[in-house]
Parts: sequence; C-alpha cells; structure tokens
Amino acid sequence: MIPRRPLTRPNMSSIRWLLTFILLIVGVSVQNSDAAGPLNVYVVNYPLKYFAERIGGDHVRVKFPVAADVDPAYWNPDLADIAAYQQADLILLNGAGYAKWVANVSLPRSKIVDTSRKFKNRYIYTEEVATHSHGAAGEHAHEALAFTTWLDLEFAAQQAGAIAAALSRKRPELRNGFQSNLEALVTDLKGLDRDIQTMVSKNPAIPLIVSHPVYDYFTKRYGLNVVSVHWEPDEVLHNRQLRELKGILQQHPAKWLIWEGPPIPASVAKLKTLGIDSLVFAPCGNVPDSGDFMTVMRHNVEDLRRAFSVTQ
Amino acid sequence: MLVACITLISFLPFALQLLLHESERQLMSRAVETPLVVGKKGSSLDLVMNTLYFGDDVPELLTMAASDRIADTDLSLPIPMYVRFKTRGNPIVGTTLDYFEFRGSKMARGRQMAVLGDCVLGARVAESLDLKPGDSLVSSPESLFDLAGVYPLKMKVAGVLQKSHTPDDRAVFVDLKTAWVIQGLGHGHQDVTQLKDPTLVLKRTESNVAATAKLFHYTEITEKNMASFHFHGNLSAYPISAIIAVPYDAKSGTILRGRYLSKNETQQIAKPEEVIDGLLQNIFRIKNVLDAVIAMVTLATVLAVILVFALSLRLRQREIQTIFKIGCSRMTTAKLIAAEIVIIIFSSAVLCSVLMVVVRSVANDLVRMLFIK
Repeated sequence: MIPRRPLTRPNMSSIRWLLTFILLIVGVSVQNSDAAGPLNVYVVNYPLKYFAERIGGDHVRVKFPVAADVDPAYWNPDLADIAAYQQADLILLNGAGYAKWVANVSLPRSKIVDTSRKFKNRYIYTEEVATHSHGAAGEHAHEALAFTTWLDLEFAAQQAGAIAAALSRKRPELRNGFQSNLEALVTDLKGLDRDIQTMVSKNPAIPLIVSHPVYDYFTKRYGLNVVSVHWEPDEVLHNRQLRELKGILQQHPAKWLIWEGPPIPASVAKLKTLGIDSLVFAPCGNVPDSGDFMTVMRHNVEDLRRAFSVTQ
Repeated sequence: MLVACITLISFLPFALQLLLHESERQLMSRAVETPLVVGKKGSSLDLVMNTLYFGDDVPELLTMAASDRIADTDLSLPIPMYVRFKTRGNPIVGTTLDYFEFRGSKMARGRQMAVLGDCVLGARVAESLDLKPGDSLVSSPESLFDLAGVYPLKMKVAGVLQKSHTPDDRAVFVDLKTAWVIQGLGHGHQDVTQLKDPTLVLKRTESNVAATAKLFHYTEITEKNMASFHFHGNLSAYPISAIIAVPYDAKSGTILRGRYLSKNETQQIAKPEEVIDGLLQNIFRIKNVLDAVIAMVTLATVLAVILVFALSLRLRQREIQTIFKIGCSRMTTAKLIAAEIVIIIFSSAVLCSVLMVVVRSVANDLVRMLFIK
C-alpha cells in the first residue's frame, strides 16, 4: 500500500505573501480618493485664487493666467486661454459683471461657479457710467455694475463659501477638510471686518476722496462718506484735475485721498498743497508684488487707520 | 425562376422584420440616451422632435429662467437648447458646451467654439456645403417679409464634428449667446455715448443715451468689434426652446419629474424614450398591414407554385410512364420527383439565407440611408 503524503500545514512564507497582498489591496482602495489628482481650477481674479488655494490646499491647482500688470476685470484672453478655461474642472467667476470677456466666450455652464450669486440682489449699480438703450422704450444695457465685491469682507466670506461648496461637490470625500479650511479663512476675514468696523465707528462721517470708483462695496459696508474721482496713481496730476478737486472740496472738505496703488511723489506733493494727505488701499484684484490677499488687506487697514486717527 | 420566386417569398418578410427592428432601435437610441426634456406645456412630441431631432416645428418658447430653476434644484444638469434658426437649410442649434460632453461628441477638425460668432458644423453639413475651419457661414433670415426681425449673421466655422450618425451630423452648433445675436437680442455697434451724429441719438440724459433705429448693427463678429457686443435687459428673460435635463442619479430624476406635476405648472417635463416609443408604436402598426399583405401574397404564390408543380407533373406524365415501363419502380419515381422539389426549396433557402446575411450586415447603413434623414 502506497503511503499517502501527509497534509502539510501552510508555511509562514505563504501566509506572509497573502497578508502583504491583502494590505496592498486595502492600501490602494484607501488612496482612491486622491487617485483622481488635484482639481484644475481656473479663476478670474486674485482674491478668488487666494480663497480657492486656502480652502482647497493640495487638492486644487489654481490657475490665473492674467499677467501681473493687467487689470483682470478688463483682460481679454486669447483662444489658447479660452481653451484652457474650457478644459478646467471648475471655473470660478466673481459675478457682478466682473471680467467682461466672460459674456462673449463659450464656457461649460456645468463647471462655472458664480461666487457672488447668492447676494446678487445686493449688487451696486454705479452711477458713474452712462448706459444706453435703443428706441424710446428699449431696455438698458447693464454696463454699470460695481464689481469689486470682495472689498465687502462679508461678501468675500460668502464668495469663499461658494468656492468651498463647489469644491465639496466635486470631491465629496474631502468635504470636511474644505469646510475646516473655509472656517479658518472666514475667521480671518471676519477678524479684519471687525477691525475696520471698530476703526470707522470712531469717526464715521469723516469725508474721504477715492481715486477710482472701485470702492463701492467697501464704502457701503462701512458707511464711509466718500466722493470718487477717476485718477491714475502712476500719472502726475494736472491742473484740470486739481481744479476738479477744488470744486469737490468746497462741498466735501476731505483731508485724505485714497489711492488704489502707490501714487507718484509729484502728485502727493500737489495734493499736500491743498491740505490733502494720501494713503493707499489696494483693491488687490491681481497678484500682489509681495505677500498675499490677507497681508495686503491688513496693510490697507493699517494705512486707512491714519485717516481715522485711531491708535491701537 | 421557381427558385427565385420561393426565395423572394421567404426573404421579404424576414428582411422587412429585420429592417423595421433596426429602424426602431436607431430611432429609439437617441431618445433612450436623453433622460429628460423640459419645455413649455403643449405637445410633448413637438418638444422632443425639435430638441432631439432638430425638427422644423418650434415649440412654444421658454426663458432662461426655466434653466436656472433646474440648476437651483441641484438635482440635474440643465442644458438649454434654442433650435429655431436655419442656415442654408440646416438647423442652427444654440446650446452650451455641456451639450457636446453629454453627447460624447468629438472634434474631427478645428477647435470647439470659443467666442461669440463661432459655429461648429456637423459632419454632413461640412461635407454638403464643402466647409472647413476658418470658412464662414451666414444664417438665413427667418422671413423675407419681416425686415425688422431676425437678420443674417456671418458666423465663423471653428470646427467640424466627427460623424456620429445622429441628427447632430446635419446641424450647425452655436453658443446660446450667438443664437440670441442672430435673433437680434444681442448686438454690437459704435459706442452710443460717444456719438456725434444727431440723427443717431433719440434722447440723451445724464445717465442714459437712447439711440435711434438708424444706428448700424454689425452683421459679423470680429476680433475688432467683439468687445462692443452686448445684451440688453435681463438674460434670465431670454428665450430658449427647451432644456435637456441630465439628472445626477435616478432618484434626482424622479424628484425632478415630480416638481412639474402641479396643475398650475406652465412647463412640462417629458421622458423622450416614452414619447418616441409611443410614436413608433403607432407608426409600426402599419407593419401589421404590411404583414397581412405579404401573407396574402405568400399564400397566392404558394398556391401558384403548387399549381406549377402539378401542371409540370401533368405535362411530364408520358415521361414518367416511360420511366415506369423501362423498369423504374413507383417508389423510385416518387423519390426522383420529391428530390426535384427538395432541391428547388433547398436552393431557395440557401439563397434566402445569403440575402439575409447581406441585409443584416448592411441593415445599419441601409436604414439610415432609406428611412432616417
């Protein structure tokens, strides 16, 4: 009778291989959420880029193709830029008519996020721009919306919220992380908002002049007493502008003029002769030379403090 | 001759069955792929035919607010459609880029539409009009008698789609905003606030300048004048003909359909598969009539064939008797005659099978060519 081969116990080597295989399978499934790669997000201005990066972190790759010396609100993309926007996973728009080029190009609606949609009933129509219509009863073209919505920090927080919601829809498994980052960002924005409120409350009616009609949301939020002119910080003031200023000062005796960028010294000197000091409040629509959105805004607030003569 | 007759009789009903089945499948495929269509309350057939097959009958128009309504529900992706205008006999389909992703359309040449005034051609349109990327195409006026209505816009061909064997092949696609420019709702012209000619200005106030009808509107959108193009009024009030709603999941689709059930609802939501299935059921009832006619013809032909065999036997009676007299048994004679009949029928069957194989292999293209425009 031929003896049967005894059944052998499974050896340790086989068990080790089996365990390794199982761990590998588990590891691959855990990494599935990141297997898709970071979201390709295109934006139309720097504040949205900053918000998206703060909220999305490593899970987003934010693209903002506007050159640093161009105002994004009036930038015109070429066909390659438009194609890049079309291929994005998400396209973050500011809304309120910002980025005029958006009205004349084809973008996939499923990828567009109008970050100011929730407060569109609170858009400000600027009186500075004349509209036009056709015929006696024709409707007006809406050229006259103020669009620097992020300068109202409460609106900025809502725009950040819209971004977090859009990212969470795309990557639901990362929702908690996005929410936590949003809360940190909103805390910073609200902190800055409180600082400005406190500063302005000490002297709310102080007359101010702004160099550009881009502060509508900021002045409305904080109830500032402001008259706007339309001057460029990198151009020397000429006599016509100074005459215009004298006319304004008769009704609006301002001591401070707020520039959107560093003014040239010659303009500052001319204003000084009229008893007006200059300060800078950069709207930060494009990438700053140094720092980021929050550092620029904090610097803006510190400079503004001089006008309200408040010491910390 | 006899073989040919029997072949034809067997082949016709099977071939017809095959072609009708293929037609039904092709007609239904587009409807099956499109989950839901939203439009103004009325004929769901007109709505589906215009939206999916770009039919000539334009349903009552909706506004973009209806598309925003669907977007706000977060249940479905809305793809607005505006199928109203034509260019050289081909329908102009105003829509968004989401349409192409939804249909899985790919570019064969050129690029996707990018700016106002761009158009993308279906494969057959490009072939029949001999157009390629970079060429131009002018939209047709809606009516020769409405001089103040839709006027021609010169569109730039940005790209040509790959052949899809669907109605997309014979359509010209434009952005929704370009369709509105064709309608005259959007336009470009000189800066009205800078006009010097008094005959161009109706009324000027501090905040607004009203222009007269004499102001020239550009009929072509170029790089130079594109920035001047704009729309008046609220875009939510702008017209569309329908919305393709793509639910995010089955439950969302059901919920969305439920939102349009109210008696006061002025819009309808239709499931194209149900609408087209109902239509085809009616159309293919005619098939029963055809079947009956073929059955009658078949019966008549079978009787004729039997008559021919009988007459043939009668005519060959003397030959059969001769075979019997020279020693061939009755059974063998019967076997000979039976073999003759079997060979004829078998030959017919083989020919019929060959023909069926040929028809099956070309059914797809044959149906497209013969029945589907």
